Amino acid sequence: MASGGPPDLEVVARVLGGDGEAFGIIIRRYEPGLLRFATRMLGQQDAAADAVAEGLVRAYRHLASCRDPARLRTWLYRIVANRCKSHLARRSSMEVRLDDAPPIADAADSEAMVERNEQMERVQRALATLPPDKREAFVMKHVEGLSYEEMAQATGDRIPALKMRVHRAREALVAALQEQEEVL
Amino acid sequence: MTHIDPRVHEALDGERPLESLPPDLRAEAERLLEVAALLAAAPVAASVATRVMAHLAEPRPSRLRRLLQWIARPQAVTFHLRPVWSLAVAAALAVFALLPGGGPLELGPEEGIAEFVLPASGAHSVHVAGSFNDWRAGGIALEDRNHDGVWRATVVLPVGQHEYMFVVDGERWVADPNAGRYVDDDFGRENAVLIVRRASR
Repeated sequence: MASGGPPDLEVVARVLGGDGEAFGIIIRRYEPGLLRFATRMLGQQDAAADAVAEGLVRAYRHLASCRDPARLRTWLYRIVANRCKSHLARRSSMEVRLDDAPPIADAADSEAMVERNEQMERVQRALATLPPDKREAFVMKHVEGLSYEEMAQATGDRIPALKMRVHRAREALVAALQEQEEVL
Repeated sequence: MTHIDPRVHEALDGERPLESLPPDLRAEAERLLEVAALLAAAPVAASVATRVMAHLAEPRPSRLRRLLQWIARPQAVTFHLRPVWSLAVAAALAVFALLPGGGPLELGPEEGIAEFVLPASGAHSVHVAGSFNDWRAGGIALEDRNHDGVWRATVVLPVGQHEYMFVVDGERWVADPNAGRYVDDDFGRENAVLIVRRASR
């Protein structure tokens, strides 16, 4: 999928034909979503940047093995998801943490902005309590807007299993949010 | 775990209109959509485009150089454990240990040998990554020397339990279909487990 600019198929052909600079089109096109996905998966912006950078380098090196360039987007999610998995494997789930503190409120911030930041903080903390597979399912479905078919391409899992995982993720997220509200 | 009415899931999955839900369920669905919108809007890591393009612009080391770098790098040794083969492997290790002057592989006192095997016809490359090499996907390459679609690597690993997966074509992670044990990797998949035993001397 590509919105605006040459289609992925054409860009991939250019890169494979030796135009390495054309890979910049792919980066600009998909980097925002990949960074958002990795940041939500890892809870840390530095680690997310590393995972996406490693993933994009790997994607470039192995672009010829992308058998269906029309599905480049889900192929990239698959690679970055594996990079995230590798990062998570190096630290126990207990070590998974969010980047410290939400944005610091400034005197000029409106009350609504402060409240929104607090909400965002609560939501991110709740998401971080989900096991990685459920976190991945929720973020792919609801934050990245992937269809179940695209999720199946990105994860290699079957659609019924993914559907069930998304359902469980929603329930776990609601429970985590409720728990936080009870604490407050 | 909080139970969510199946109709809410259906609406969120696009299988029924949100408007068709009763007010309380609709509010529940909208709450989840708000949560997703917050996550979509929250700050993310800064762009890595410049870093990636700069990295790609660097000339890639030749295959020989990469091989030499890999050899020079300290490698943990793998010991593969499959029930059917464990006795044979143990016997082979014993033979190595009894050979005058040692076998072809130099084993430390806390090391053993593992053979990784993956049938993968059509694969362009197969690597093994695991707890023994910090899950580096490109660290240990398997070879299909006979061109029969069966990829193999023999490596030396520290004694003890290790988890591992194969990486096919640089991006597809697959568990060893012939492993004796597996453990959940928290991603809904399973890592294969191998136990490296000390070679008797």
